[in-house]
Amino acid sequence: MIPIVFELYANLARLAGTAEYRLEVADGARTVGDAVALLGQARPELASSLDRCACVSGDSIVRRADALPADGRIALLPPVAGG
Amino acid sequence: MDHPVLSHEPVAVEPLLELQSHPECGGLALFVGTVRDHHEGQSVKHLAYTAHEPMAAKVIRAVEADTRERFGVPYVRIVHRLGDLAIGDIAIVCVVRAPHRAEAFEACRYAVDAVKHGAPIWKEEFYTDGSSAFVEGCCIRDDLDESASPRPHRHHSHTSHG
Repeated sequence: MIPIVFELYANLARLAGTAEYRLEVADGARTVGDAVALLGQARPELASSLDRCACVSGDSIVRRADALPADGRIALLPPVAGG
Repeated sequence: MDHPVLSHEPVAVEPLLELQSHPECGGLALFVGTVRDHHEGQSVKHLAYTAHEPMAAKVIRAVEADTRERFGVPYVRIVHRLGDLAIGDIAIVCVVRAPHRAEAFEACRYAVDAVKHGAPIWKEEFYTDGSSAFVEGCCIRDDLDESASPRPHRHHSHTSHG
């Protein structure tokens, strides 16, 4: 099992009731998309919001097809509304 | 030289203008977005901005650089406020210095729109009836075309402060 920590922002954090969610994903999970799909299964109340979230590692967007970040942290960014 | 582009404290406009610099510039375009007391029919009491700060700072700096390049202007300065804001507080400031007014106006508008649509900043509004909501925003996920899932809207029709 691989530990992944999801950082949750804005309405996603509100829905989850937490700013961070730790998930043990199966060794077969290889990509960011795999991990996000598993998060949706573990927390169904988030599932409908995840498609519209960008995934970020550090200060860069990562794509669903990218490998899991080495530090095991994925930030999930819902649609933005600054200004 | 990297100026702060995110501020947890109230933003002062005057120091951002650089009026004593850029003698080649005859134009200064300034946009100041402030907190409005209504949104889509609801009465807004106050609001809060949160951000993914490392990426928001990176995006805003990229917008500044892109705007300078795209419009050929020497000075673009953007500061976005974070934290709890009252009605009338400054949410975003964008200053552009340019030789002439046309590119100053155009560059300023472009830069503000680019920040609104791309920087990971979120606005939670608190209404006079006691409820609150995050303002509907722009999806910044960039690989939706490769996804089998239904495509959410990617572009920007949300209304916002400023």
